[in-house]
Amino acid sequence: MFLRNYWYVAASGSDITRKPFGRIILGEPVVFYRTADGTPIALEDRCPHRRLPLSMGKLVSDDVLQCHYHGLRFDRTGACVRVPGQDMIPSDARVKRYTVVDRYKWLWIWMGDPAKADPAKIPDYHWFDDPNWGAQSDYLHAECNWQLVNDNLLDLTHLAFVHETTIGNMALVEHAAVRVQRTPTGVQVTRWIIDQPAPPAFVKIGGFTGNVDRWQIIDFQPPSYIRLDVGATPTGTGAPEGRRVGGIQMRNLNAMTPETETTTHYFWGQAHDFQPRNPEVTERVFQQIKTAFLEDVAVFSAQQKLIDLDPDAPQIDINADSGGIQARRINARLYAEEQASKTAAATAAE
Amino acid sequence: MALKFRVELVWQDEKDTASSIYLTGDARVVLQGKAITDAERAQLSLPAGGAMISVDRAVIRAIKEML
Repeated sequence: MFLRNYWYVAASGSDITRKPFGRIILGEPVVFYRTADGTPIALEDRCPHRRLPLSMGKLVSDDVLQCHYHGLRFDRTGACVRVPGQDMIPSDARVKRYTVVDRYKWLWIWMGDPAKADPAKIPDYHWFDDPNWGAQSDYLHAECNWQLVNDNLLDLTHLAFVHETTIGNMALVEHAAVRVQRTPTGVQVTRWIIDQPAPPAFVKIGGFTGNVDRWQIIDFQPPSYIRLDVGATPTGTGAPEGRRVGGIQMRNLNAMTPETETTTHYFWGQAHDFQPRNPEVTERVFQQIKTAFLEDVAVFSAQQKLIDLDPDAPQIDINADSGGIQARRINARLYAEEQASKTAAATAAE
Repeated sequence: MALKFRVELVWQDEKDTASSIYLTGDARVVLQGKAITDAERAQLSLPAGGAMISVDRAVIRAIKEML
């Protein structure tokens, strides 16, 4: 199940250069490159002649992409402009073109109806290029369905088990009071820990000398944008009411792009508001989270292997799944709506 | 070990907000509502005994949607 009328992160902006770059997105092969003036281009990565990936080819004059096999050339619109050895170009010799946008140091792609591609709908990940924040992003290839990653990020309790030796502890589970808010457009999972000692890592970073108010706020927007807002301020200074002063804040920023039904391009990053221009701090914060994320990725592939082995094996739900369940319901509803709209459009066209 | 785990579910559509449904660590679903008074019991001919609450319709819709 893929939702098509959404923006997805296709690559880190710096991954796309003058050298063609191929990637499967939502089950479709896509080749990316930049024109001489830096404009990103995305075309179907499949020569219509003998189906070799065009990403194996190269750019030739005027930003034209040449197939590695028989030299057919395609311009930036996807139209074939040259077939070696003949003057006539078959009328259906063209590849699909996708809309792409550079934003927040990522390259975003629209995989659905081109008429609906509105860049204003790209979700907010401004922390990656905001001078008041230090941030670093990364890419992981997850051997699992994209919704398993959603489930994981919307569940705070696995931290105590999967990340027992890195960022979790049992207190997160034993005394969790979690609020799952289903809004018209998404899900927000919130947890506040009021007037408690700061964890050691927070003391080190924030220099807290007394108790703190801590928050963990997970924001899900369909299909797979998940942004975590975490931080702490000295207790009683008003953070629960929205006054965040004298503390530290971080954002864990995630955008999952389905590759296939069982594999996912997992784009993520970590941003911090303390010492934002100190690259050593950014690197230290980033590496701490990355270690934990690699633990998650190992869990995902193990889950997917067993799901593939027996997709109908029974599965139970527990309280901690509430956020993930709501996210899945929203995605299922949006998928049904997309399919219904597609069917209606096809019927109208007949 | 009894875990003091609690999840509060809040469902909000464009018009209504249903607060609150609590899922507890000891497998109960606790609803927030208004206690039924003895006078209301008598007026509505509700059965005697047992705690009773009235809840907003939005809560029922949220339960159907969320659980």
